[in-house]
Amino acid sequence: MFVVRRMKKHVVTISPAASLYEAREIMRGNNIHQLPVAGENGKLVGILSNRDIREATLPVGILRGATEEEAVELLKKTAVEKVMTRKVTVATLTDTLEDAIVLLHDFRINALPVVDDKGRVAGIITRTDVLKAFIEALGVGEISSRLEVVVPDRPGGLAKIVSIIKGFNVNITSILTTGHAEAGKRTIFFRVATINVLPLKQTIQEAGFEILDPSLYHV
Amino acid sequence: MNRVGFVYHSDYLLHAAPFDHPESPSRLLAIVEHLSSNGIADRMIPIEPVYPGESDILRVHDPEYLRKLEAACRRGDTTLDAEDTYLCRNSYTIALLSAGGAIAGAEAVATGMVRRAFCAVRPPGHHADRHTGMGFCLLNNVAVAARYLQAKHGISRVFIVDWDVHHGNGTQSIFLEDPSVFFFSIHEHPSFLYPGTGRRWETGKGAGEGTTINAPMSPGTGDEEYRLAFEQMLQPAVERFRPEIIMISAGFDAHREDPLADIEVTTEGYRFMTRFVCELAERHCGGKVVSVLEGGYEIPSLVASVAIHVQELLGT
Ligand SMILES: [Zn+2]
Repeated sequence: MFVVRRMKKHVVTISPAASLYEAREIMRGNNIHQLPVAGENGKLVGILSNRDIREATLPVGILRGATEEEAVELLKKTAVEKVMTRKVTVATLTDTLEDAIVLLHDFRINALPVVDDKGRVAGIITRTDVLKAFIEALGVGEISSRLEVVVPDRPGGLAKIVSIIKGFNVNITSILTTGHAEAGKRTIFFRVATINVLPLKQTIQEAGFEILDPSLYHV
Repeated sequence: MNRVGFVYHSDYLLHAAPFDHPESPSRLLAIVEHLSSNGIADRMIPIEPVYPGESDILRVHDPEYLRKLEAACRRGDTTLDAEDTYLCRNSYTIALLSAGGAIAGAEAVATGMVRRAFCAVRPPGHHADRHTGMGFCLLNNVAVAARYLQAKHGISRVFIVDWDVHHGNGTQSIFLEDPSVFFFSIHEHPSFLYPGTGRRWETGKGAGEGTTINAPMSPGTGDEEYRLAFEQMLQPAVERFRPEIIMISAGFDAHREDPLADIEVTTEGYRFMTRFVCELAERHCGGKVVSVLEGGYEIPSLVASVAIHVQELLGT
């Protein structure tokens, strides 16, 4: 899965010469928390978050007797480029969704502008987009049942189970696999589009695999 | 002893799978035989289910789905989806009679002919939504009966308690935006069990915001956790909503012996739940309770739980 498929393609940007007041209005109007700053030819030159704006007005905020008008005045006469973050963490159009997830996590950021090979803003991907992709990958909310199977950590286990499920003419809506608490084993998590998992479970067990009992694994 | 109606028809046994399937006619047959041989059935008032008019079904389901279901049965299709929701040539007719059974039970309670009713019907209904059947369910029996009560008996507020171990996704979606029907569902947590919906923040939508409650239960929980949920979530909801009648989507697959789920309710748990709902009905809606059978797939525990359920409805 690539970033391109999950990013928002219509990105609201702002010019570096615009005022913080304009930036704040745009953010409020679009219900977003950050704006990529695009210079000439749409090239990404920085990013501005609503936190940057809040911090810029802080000096006025703590002045005794300062008014809302004075804060607005300050916002109006301060250019975006004076406050924006210039060193932007970005994703590129060829990055994978995994790249984006790691970047968002490791750099502790909420949004990742996506740039093309000329450095122009082509999209933006946020933590929310990534979570949504993960919800879909897990099959949450799809009409289905859950199966957790423990297999030896060597090739072939998953294939065997999938063919058992296929034998029941049941759709698999999600598969995930992770290491198991016990060394040398893996857990495979399936969501299957059936209410009647009993014959599935029995056949999988008869084939020599362990089905995790959910009343034990939630504790 | 309360006057309790018992809705049943031997034609309910005619909906049968062409292959091995847990939702089998033998479930209902076992229930009826047990209630008869123990003399429980004699203490109830038999009620004949009636074939509903198409308009009764169309209050809940799409006409397109009805036609599709009818055609599929006539063609001899064996399932509606994978092998969950099977069909035979009789299935459409029996699904109508199943919904008609819930209507007949509701009607008898609404007119005062009986104080409570148990509708031993199948196929079950609570997974069926407006547009399609699923999870062994073809038509949403409880929803059809609730709408019937509203249309024909001037009842404005219906409260549905769904204690089948699976979330009643069909019933929830039908009434999601409707403030006149309260839907309370207690079920195994959707991360572990079909259908994968019914999380605690699903509380209704639009005008219906606040008239849906979901109580997802962790695998391995049982009577004690169910009691707490009834006391802390169900009771205040009923008190707030002030229903004119309470319906139960009575599945018995939360029983510890049931192989389809991981909940550990006992027959005594079903006694508690039934008594609790009846007491709420006594306080708020003249004791009117209409219970409609949903799931329950381990015959001995199903039969024992239904017997206790019915005895509590009788109040003996
Ligand atoms: Zn069920």
